[in-house]
Amino acid sequence: MSQVPNIGSEAPATGASGRRRVIETHGLSKIFTLSEGSVTALRDVNIAIDEGEFVSFVGPSGCGKSTLLNIISGLLPATTGTVLLDGEDITEPSHKMGFMFQTPVLLPWRTVEKNVLLPAEVQGLNVEALRPKALDVIEAVGLKDFRHAYPKQLSGGMQQRVALARVLTYEPEVLLMDEPFGALDEFTREAMNLELMRITQSAGITCIFVTHNITEAVFLSDKVVVMTPRPGEVSGVLDIDLPRPREIGTMKDPAFADLIFEVRSLLGRHVHA
Amino acid sequence: MRDAVIDANAPSPRLDPVKADAAKADAAARELRRQRERRTDWYYRIGAISIGVVILLLWEALPYFDLVNPIILPPFTKVAYALYTLVQQPFFPRHLLITLNEIVVGFLVGTGLGLGVGIALAVWPPVKRLIYPYVVGFQAIPKIVFAPLFIAWFGFDQISKIVMAVVIAFFPVLINTMVGLESVPADARKLMRSMKATPLQLFYKVSFLHALPIIFAGVQAAFTFAVIGAIVGEFVGAKEGLGYLLNLYNFQLRIDRAFAVIVILAGIGAAGFFLLEWADRKFIFWRER
Repeated sequence: MSQVPNIGSEAPATGASGRRRVIETHGLSKIFTLSEGSVTALRDVNIAIDEGEFVSFVGPSGCGKSTLLNIISGLLPATTGTVLLDGEDITEPSHKMGFMFQTPVLLPWRTVEKNVLLPAEVQGLNVEALRPKALDVIEAVGLKDFRHAYPKQLSGGMQQRVALARVLTYEPEVLLMDEPFGALDEFTREAMNLELMRITQSAGITCIFVTHNITEAVFLSDKVVVMTPRPGEVSGVLDIDLPRPREIGTMKDPAFADLIFEVRSLLGRHVHA
Repeated sequence: MRDAVIDANAPSPRLDPVKADAAKADAAARELRRQRERRTDWYYRIGAISIGVVILLLWEALPYFDLVNPIILPPFTKVAYALYTLVQQPFFPRHLLITLNEIVVGFLVGTGLGLGVGIALAVWPPVKRLIYPYVVGFQAIPKIVFAPLFIAWFGFDQISKIVMAVVIAFFPVLINTMVGLESVPADARKLMRSMKATPLQLFYKVSFLHALPIIFAGVQAAFTFAVIGAIVGEFVGAKEGLGYLLNLYNFQLRIDRAFAVIVILAGIGAAGFFLLEWADRKFIFWRER
């Protein structure tokens, strides 16, 4: 990722990595008007993300990272600035992007398989034709034996795997994740991190990941964007050049500890707030 | 299988001997606990039945020993006999069917109306802002005051009783439909929007099913209310029906027969309730119980 010069919209450029540019934001700001006055949630955010990149946004609560994700997804309009997906303005949700939340948001009356097929149904696609694909994805997230189970029969980690499978059947170009493992215990979170990395790497999916867990961000990402609150701004971008594939052992690497420390120093006084 | 939580880390079938022993011990402990639970279940069941038996014994003994006047409270056995003879009267089926008809039609129409208005209020905020104050105001009125009015408007026949049942029954369905539809989690709406779902898809794939357990609780209340509506309607003015019979026997001081009618009405109420309870368990299997 490189800092984008403000030259307005252009044809899809090529990033520093030599790969296709997937997402760009130009001068993105968001001001919420409340009865007590207005709050600047985001100020002048310029980022660029290339195909296949895993980019994390880290910051304390209120730094606007979730707001930024909502704007990129097309769910929330920006006050000023633009978001480009493959060079085109985003003003509404796109089938090229899939969204994952902190809660799995499964429908309790549907089995795992039917939850995974929900996007296909909503898009009016041929569900029968997509069933084999859905089963492959369910197998990939390790839930093959649970395809006929209902959500409440599954643990929290397994439910989040279903949510991952649901978004992957979409075959999204870009996967947007808003603290997807924030509600899981540390061990499950680690397992999910490894699984997410394996799946998205092999499918070459571009990932935008929001978290307040620095370790998780550094472990997963090619780039970490550090954000600070009041107003929500990008305070720095870090390249994570740890070799891939990464394993739990990667965390022993002295470079890993250095990167975590760098993220902390970019957060500055806000980590102690 | 509904309550079984499946554990991803559950032991695989092939185990080493130590783990196998541990698993066996675990299974034995679980079996013991289940047996103990089953025994406690039985104790409670016997306890509950005993309470009923004591009440019936008191009902029998108090008038028998003249502790209460048998005219005011006829003994249980006398009521049971009155029930036995009442159901054999040639006029009885007609009264029973009329009241049943009022209850069922009132319940169905009230539920349908409550559903329709509840959905309209939840789906179109302007409609809610316009008419919700009147809905609340109407609910604040004790609906029984309308009973004489309905007789004047709709006559002594079944219509006035059905209208009464509808008016009382529709409200819990309306409120529960509205509240249920409005309680769809923000993340679920967001998920559907991120998939570019249409408002109609959001409604029938998510919102309505999400609201269904709450709506059904309202439907159950509606049945009980429909029974009340039909009987109150008959009390105020009727030529036939169980409410009419109950009133008649009261005036004639045939309290044993009056009690017999009450037992029948209690049976109708309970039958409806348990039928709906059964339907709830069957169709709303995902409800948190």
